[in-house]
Amino acid sequence: MNKTALSLGFGSCPRCQKVNKMHNERQQCSRCHYWFHARKPNSIQKTMAWTITALVLFVPANLYPMMVLNTLGKTESSTILQGISAFVQVGHYPIAIIIFIASFIIPLGKIIGLFILIYNVKHKTNINLKRQSHLFHIVEKIGPWSMLDVFVVVVMASVVNLGFLSNIEVAIGASYFALMVIATLMAANSFDPRLLWDNKPLTKEQVYEQ
Amino acid sequence: MQVNTDTLIACQLCDTLVNIPQISSGEKAICPCCQSVLYVPKKHSLERTQAISLAGLLLLLPATQLPLMGIYAAGKYHQTSLLECITLLTNNGFYLIAFCVLIFTIVVPAVRLFTAFYLTYCLQRNINKPFLMVFFRSYHLLDNWAMIHVFFLGVIVSLYKLVDIADVAIGAGIASLVMLLMCSTMLSVCIDYRYLWTELERSHE
Ligand SMILES: [Zn+2]
Ligand SMILES: [Zn+2]
Repeated sequence: MNKTALSLGFGSCPRCQKVNKMHNERQQCSRCHYWFHARKPNSIQKTMAWTITALVLFVPANLYPMMVLNTLGKTESSTILQGISAFVQVGHYPIAIIIFIASFIIPLGKIIGLFILIYNVKHKTNINLKRQSHLFHIVEKIGPWSMLDVFVVVVMASVVNLGFLSNIEVAIGASYFALMVIATLMAANSFDPRLLWDNKPLTKEQVYEQ
Repeated sequence: MQVNTDTLIACQLCDTLVNIPQISSGEKAICPCCQSVLYVPKKHSLERTQAISLAGLLLLLPATQLPLMGIYAAGKYHQTSLLECITLLTNNGFYLIAFCVLIFTIVVPAVRLFTAFYLTYCLQRNINKPFLMVFFRSYHLLDNWAMIHVFFLGVIVSLYKLVDIADVAIGAGIASLVMLLMCSTMLSVCIDYRYLWTELERSHE
């Protein structure tokens, strides 16, 4: 039957993926010499801390303006939501949807997904383990896309730089947003998906073997 | 009891330990427990990885230096490149964002390309240096931090935004950026992680 490396006294190196015999709790990989544990230490606490940080940063990231537009002495600042509604008003629906997905759905989905994963590990839920692994895989991969609006603002500010006539400046909201994205990336990095499977009850065969 | 761990592989998602199945290129090794992909062998991995990473490295300079786009407004023309974006941000005091853009769009992709190129170069010529391992160790870690694709989409979105405001001209930087993006994507597709690590281990013995 399928057995985990941990239960057999092995651990796979997180860097080079070589399977090592675990002589101690902390083991140096025989191939790449990286020191590692069979499971990421304090994974749940770290993931929790980064996820909460991301959630907190999500508030100023949306309340403060992302960019400031100066035209002929007139100043106009816009938050992410205002930027999206501006697109809707001129009829650029595809772009509005892309920005909305990148700036709202992805970060919030990631934060909710991480909370679900943390909950499942803590409460030893054993249902749909495959689906949970899949959820983690998605959470890990979609993260970078939430930087989209920050990059848009950066490029806009750099191009529209015509002095008094018209110029766009980056505003503080973009900094909070970038921090928020980094926090979600760190959260996904700290999570150890193998913890989900560690609470799996033994199958009949495994009980007999023991 | 001595176990030969070279023939074992553990699933990264569920930690199931299995013997590495004998599979030929074009096939995938699947985890029996969670059905995630364990290992995909690649054809001509060494040569392809080297060619793609070299091309990517050569593209780094034009992609960051050449103008991405410019606008005409009231008789004035202003254009910008990726590097100018970053210098403007630092000039205006947005160090955090400048740092993020620099790391995610230039440093991380550059380190990945350089690592892949230098590693394959050394393996081909049987040069072994202990720090190659440290280099290659960082490669996997940086996987989720490369954001050229996101930056490219950002450029496209801002083009859309600017077309409404002013006359926009597309620069040669965009073409270089697209090619760099293709190289970086193809690198992830072509690199055979497991093969390279095995070769690296063998060359150190
Ligand atoms: Zn290792
Ligand atoms: Zn698995």
